Amino acid sequence: MLQKREKVLLLRTFQGRTLRIVREHYLRPSVPCNSPLCPQPATCRNDGKLLSSDVTHYMIPDWKVVQDYLEILEFPELKGIIFMQTACQTVQHQRGRRQYNKLRNLLRDARHDCILFANEFQQFCYLPRERGESMEKWQTRSIYNAAVWYYHHCQDRMPIVMVTEDEEAIQQYGSETEGVFVISFKVPASGVSVSVSVCVHFFSGAHNALDPEEGSLNHLARLPPTLFFCVHTRHGFNLFSFLSLLIYFERESTSQGGPERDSKRENPEQAPCCQHRARYRARTHELRDRDLSQNRERPYAHRAVLRASLVLALLDFFSLSFVQDFRVVVRIDSWESTSVYPNGHFVRVLGRIGDLEGEIATILVENSISVVPFSEAQMCEMPVNTPGNPWKVSPEEEQERQDLRETHLVFSIDPKGCEDVDDALSVRTLDNGHLELGVHIADVTHFVAPNSYIDIEARTRATTYYLADRRYDMLPSTLSADLCSLLGGVDRYAVSVMWELDKTSYEIKKVWYGRTIIRSAYKLFYEAAQELLDGNFNIVDDIPEFRDLDEKTRQARLEELAWAIGKLTDIARHVRAKRDGCGALELEGVEVRVQLDEKKNIHDLIPKQPLEVHETVAECMILANHWVAKKIWESFPHQALLRQHPPPHQEFFSELRECAKAKGFFIDTRSNKTLADSLDNANDPNDPIVNRLLRSMATQAMSNALYFSTGSCAEEEFHHYGLALDKYTHFTSPIRRYSDIIVHRLLMAAISKDKKMEMKDNLFSNKDLEELCRHINNRNRAAQHSQKQSTELFQCMYFKDKDPENEERCVSDGVIYSIRTNGVLLFIPRFGIKGAAYLKNKDGLVISCTPDGRSEWKPGSLQRFQNKITSTTTGGESVTFHLFDHVTVRISVQASRCHSDTIRLEIISNKPYMSPDTELFHQSSLLLKSDLVKEVTRSVEEAQLAQEVKVNVIQEDYQKYCQTKGRSLYMLLEEIRDLALLDVSNSYGM
Amino acid sequence: MAGLELLSDQGYRVDGRRAGELRKIQARMGVFAQADGSAYIEQGNTKALAVVYGPHEIRGSRARALPDRALVNCQYSSATFSTGERKRRPHGDRKSCEMGLQLRQTFEAAILTQLHPRSQIDIYVQVLQADGGTYAACVNAATLAVLDAGIPMRDFVCACSAGFVDSTALADLSHVEEAAGGPQLALALLPASGQLALLEMDARLHEDHLEQVLEAAARAARDVHTLLDRVVRQHVREASILLGD
Repeated sequence: MLQKREKVLLLRTFQGRTLRIVREHYLRPSVPCNSPLCPQPATCRNDGKLLSSDVTHYMIPDWKVVQDYLEILEFPELKGIIFMQTACQTVQHQRGRRQYNKLRNLLRDARHDCILFANEFQQFCYLPRERGESMEKWQTRSIYNAAVWYYHHCQDRMPIVMVTEDEEAIQQYGSETEGVFVISFKVPASGVSVSVSVCVHFFSGAHNALDPEEGSLNHLARLPPTLFFCVHTRHGFNLFSFLSLLIYFERESTSQGGPERDSKRENPEQAPCCQHRARYRARTHELRDRDLSQNRERPYAHRAVLRASLVLALLDFFSLSFVQDFRVVVRIDSWESTSVYPNGHFVRVLGRIGDLEGEIATILVENSISVVPFSEAQMCEMPVNTPGNPWKVSPEEEQERQDLRETHLVFSIDPKGCEDVDDALSVRTLDNGHLELGVHIADVTHFVAPNSYIDIEARTRATTYYLADRRYDMLPSTLSADLCSLLGGVDRYAVSVMWELDKTSYEIKKVWYGRTIIRSAYKLFYEAAQELLDGNFNIVDDIPEFRDLDEKTRQARLEELAWAIGKLTDIARHVRAKRDGCGALELEGVEVRVQLDEKKNIHDLIPKQPLEVHETVAECMILANHWVAKKIWESFPHQALLRQHPPPHQEFFSELRECAKAKGFFIDTRSNKTLADSLDNANDPNDPIVNRLLRSMATQAMSNALYFSTGSCAEEEFHHYGLALDKYTHFTSPIRRYSDIIVHRLLMAAISKDKKMEMKDNLFSNKDLEELCRHINNRNRAAQHSQKQSTELFQCMYFKDKDPENEERCVSDGVIYSIRTNGVLLFIPRFGIKGAAYLKNKDGLVISCTPDGRSEWKPGSLQRFQNKITSTTTGGESVTFHLFDHVTVRISVQASRCHSDTIRLEIISNKPYMSPDTELFHQSSLLLKSDLVKEVTRSVEEAQLAQEVKVNVIQEDYQKYCQTKGRSLYMLLEEIRDLALLDVSNSYGM
Repeated sequence: MAGLELLSDQGYRVDGRRAGELRKIQARMGVFAQADGSAYIEQGNTKALAVVYGPHEIRGSRARALPDRALVNCQYSSATFSTGERKRRPHGDRKSCEMGLQLRQTFEAAILTQLHPRSQIDIYVQVLQADGGTYAACVNAATLAVLDAGIPMRDFVCACSAGFVDSTALADLSHVEEAAGGPQLALALLPASGQLALLEMDARLHEDHLEQVLEAAARAARDVHTLLDRVVRQHVREASILLGD
């Protein structure tokens, strides 16, 4: 039975009058307590997540603690946290939506051991605010009262610790109830009147380390950095040297600096300023010894010299050495109006500046990627597959699924050595003469139940992250490399799409979707498949499946397989032609070649001449995606997850058109078809790079392909520009994309809907799905950024040790692909680097070239034209750079302690770079990338061995990572398409 | 400050109710002696007073008399102090007129008007405090008053509002929830037959969700019916004791 209370609010209207508002407030005898110790779980209706039962006590943070130290409460080490509704509401009212959503996500996340207790709706916990009582006092009182009730509710079996920052509250409530402890978030340091707030792992007893008797820095330093926080102190703290740690933030979108800004950079007015605080994100901080100077007001404090452009946080630290030379994460707490810098507190050390692991961790943090190893709870959900206890097809599943093991010849085509095979193909002739084409995708959703721990983790990650030298999987390797991988000769669950096609016209007559059991007969690699397609059977020896057969069966099987591949190729050609006929363009072909230069990390993976069989596989996958998209959209018109690629804006193509005109080509951008055709024609026989650059520009002009929920978009907007399909989704790689998992679930639901069966899973509503799409799009973007940044990191580390003056490898050929007022943008085909070279240096000198082409700096001026830039010295010499000119550049690294290092380009000659291996450009560039990563990894290893620094680095062999990078071309195309959508144009600050 | 969260993740509304729960309803019948029937109702903080006169002869122009049934005349007014900001006119404005018409429609559907041809039934409703769901409170109060007057009706008319927030239908919206701007549906139900006396909504709501909201409102209206029924029985019991029956 509800009890009605009334709350009286006095609000001030805009006119300044006081408005007395009476609001009802209903109390109920029981609200869910979500504790496993609850004596009457039935009355409490504990249906959500429960607190874990293995904690020694529950922690209840005070409202102020929730407001200011949410990051700390987010640590997975902290268990058994009860957020009181009062505290959550304060966050909502005072910290805004962003912070509140963070808290909500924390509460929703099943992996975090924390719950919300709706104390204000509980009859015995609710305390009306008394007359004259301040809001803060009332909130603390409410929370304490609720804590006491909760303690008694659990029959006094679990001690409760309320942490607060309010000294008065500690005094008042500290010893009021036995079993409910009120302790400070700050632990007083020895004898000093000032409190250094150190929040240690609250209950592991670690804060005893700060015992006044033996309180010393040493204790703190020994604590793991993540458990060690200090929070700002206002006034002196003279036990240890403390310093104001300066943090800078960089605006997410731009990287322009301020006064000390590189003169190269334009747009000083875009320098970040304090007003944009909300849009800053924590990047990395720097702390420089030489910059440390005495602060007049606080002689004991060090103060780092600031860069005026940077937003700084004032942090008080007692161990300078602890954070010096490290990259750290800092949370900004407040920003006083009188201070130039915000106050913040230190959260976590990422690693040493310049150290590979540290820098990688920085990249991860910058892109807010969290890749902790899979937890035990998550691994427990994984099926077992050990040699002693092999995984088997279960009889129930055998009943429900269509068994294709005997009837269909299923095979997969992947790059050599690929481990995670998530797609397989089949083709056969039916009794009625029709053909049947099948695409079989690993059934990940069978193993990943909705809202299981592993599902939540995968949803959070949303995609597998590929960095230059490593990858972070979305699913544990038990699934990704074993049970969900459609390996040859083993039984696997799959989700299949099968089309019945006309024998000659290949027209689609029927389509069937469903769960199946398959056994892939052959795990082919592309080259072998291509040989078979060409009728060249010598390759057979390379296919392990054929090795142990006698001549006769081998021949028969071989012919069967060759027929299947041939038929597949035929069908693919046909489907492709149909798509082309509808005005589609071979965009992926375009993008591959474009993106070769763009995305260096894939660069070396692309075979120089794509085999036809690549396209065959790709086409089959596109077909499957397209049909699945149609199916789920028809079944769930308002809540299907599709992928759209909006057509680009024409004005974005203007640069492309101008550039092409400079070379005498005309680019027609009116439709995707004309664009593709004119790009194909724009080929300079003398310089293949021109075409690549033009394609790259075309790619950049396009908009991003995005996931979306069909309920939130008009049907016309579903179109996929790149593929020229009306509906498209991602279905074929559930191992490494969460969107595919969602699509699989939707498809399963659609099938059971067709069969009028009850739907098992709760599908996402349009709103939730929209939110999820936004999250996945976000994560994809983060994955692309991190990949790009890690590549840049490796490039920098590669060039860092080289002496740019002497090393031959630091000099290379570059092509001008864009003109700016003070320089040119260069593309270096050999390394796949894009960057800016300046024709005017910081001293105002301009470049000039001696007759033999070598450049020098002289006073003069620059003049920019549409397609060229001319540098004239005062002596009258002039040199002109045209678009697509080849020049010789020297590559060096510009070291920076606060940012990551950047590559710097310098034109040393206006003649193309001539070297003995000019002929081998492409060859070397293909090889170089992997060499580069290898070399950097090796040198890092060596350095570590030499210093015998014990850093916990996962030194896994690059080759091992490499394996799954060589995926099927289709996936590669997909990935490239994703990448192509990444806006990289302004990443060099010009 | 972030916007109000109308429905929390835990399923609580701003005032602590769950999605389908009604506000507290208190009602009394026979509050005025001089009227034929009268009633007072509190739905949460929404308070309404209804009086009924009739059936009596047509007052004013005889031409208005209907040959086959009674004329139902409804007048709605809300006290100047009923809302947060003081109102200028207690009745006669557009909104009041509209509300009067809606009430009239509702009660023409419920009262057996053909039993009293050429006569008139007056229903006057006044809202003393408006805290959301005024229409529902007026209908419920008027039902009680009509019952108190002893005018034959098909059934109780029970009204309730419902809204739609975060794909959940909320029953019996309070002022805070109404002010948030989501769709709001008002429904008057004849609970025994399940017929609708009035259904009104003037916001956009997706067709797919309409059923859900309707269902929520109807369920709430049935809950209101149980409560009103209890009030009527209580009133009758008291009256019969007084009469010494």
